[in-house]
Amino acid sequence: MRLSVALLASALVACGAPKPPLVISELEVTEPIPGRNMSAGFFVLRNNTAEVINITGVYSPQFARVEIHETTVTDGVSRMRRLDALVVPAHGSVVLERGGKHLMLMQAHEGSDAVTLQFLSAGTPVLSVDYVFPKDN
Amino acid sequence: MGPRYIIVAVALAIALAAGVFVAARNQAPDAPTSALALPVPKPVPAFSLLNQFGESVDQSVFEGQWDLVFFGFTHCPDICPTTLQVLAAAKKALADQGREVLPRIVLVSVDPERDSPEILGQYIDYFGDGNLGLTGTLEEVRKLTGGLGIFFQKQSGDDDGADYSVDHSAAVLVIDPDGGFHAVFSGRHVVDNFVHDLPILMGNR
Repeated sequence: MRLSVALLASALVACGAPKPPLVISELEVTEPIPGRNMSAGFFVLRNNTAEVINITGVYSPQFARVEIHETTVTDGVSRMRRLDALVVPAHGSVVLERGGKHLMLMQAHEGSDAVTLQFLSAGTPVLSVDYVFPKDN
Repeated sequence: MGPRYIIVAVALAIALAAGVFVAARNQAPDAPTSALALPVPKPVPAFSLLNQFGESVDQSVFEGQWDLVFFGFTHCPDICPTTLQVLAAAKKALADQGREVLPRIVLVSVDPERDSPEILGQYIDYFGDGNLGLTGTLEEVRKLTGGLGIFFQKQSGDDDGADYSVDHSAAVLVIDPDGGFHAVFSGRHVVDNFVHDLPILMGNR
């Protein structure tokens, strides 16, 4: 059921730098399950700069709201909590994966076969990425 | 006791320990490696809930087949669909092995306030045919979860209280065809663990 990935990422800052400051890979957005209008997003964010990047918000025109969440399983109990920010360490990465940190995309608008995610740091767009749902799924 | 007896005693102890170790290793292929089986299956407690078709069912719904029971909710975007995908993949792998006895996948809603039978039905159908969804009143859900040692607790949501989450046990329970709580898978669920342990658990009946 894993969706194949087709993505077009573009860093919106530091044009001309040898490496983009923020790079996304292994992006997967789950398709909304019938009866539910929400999705989850999983990916790896790589920070190529010497400064910590805090992702404080994510916007998607295909969803009414996007939040950064973290699932933890402690003593056999699964808990999901909203995070205020996604901290991408300097010259490091943060992994969003099943059973851990993830994007929760809520109240999907109908009829979309692609998802655009715009990552914000202190209100400023720092990365935009498109994800296309495969037609054979 | 002289030194010679001490040496002999130590040698015997080492040989005994080695024998126990080898015996344990030899038993391993026939023993579950992930699931914890109850010494004696525990009957599922009495309850009255609705299945995904809106029909009233009680504890007898667990009789007649092996069940893999997960407790979750349809507004859960991460751990619940992931777990149900693991169970569906394990069931398919067992079918591909040619096994005739396959477990049924059951989702018991710990969010009956939002999970109507219709919503639950759409959700579980996504993970394959023949699945069972159970919902109903909070009181009746708690009769079932309480009797099986399953924890869940609603959390406060956003300002209007709509988008709340529910903390819940991550365990998958194995219910036998007699309606007995037979074994439990806990922790991070992996397809291979179910594929390895389920035939052993079901064959031990």
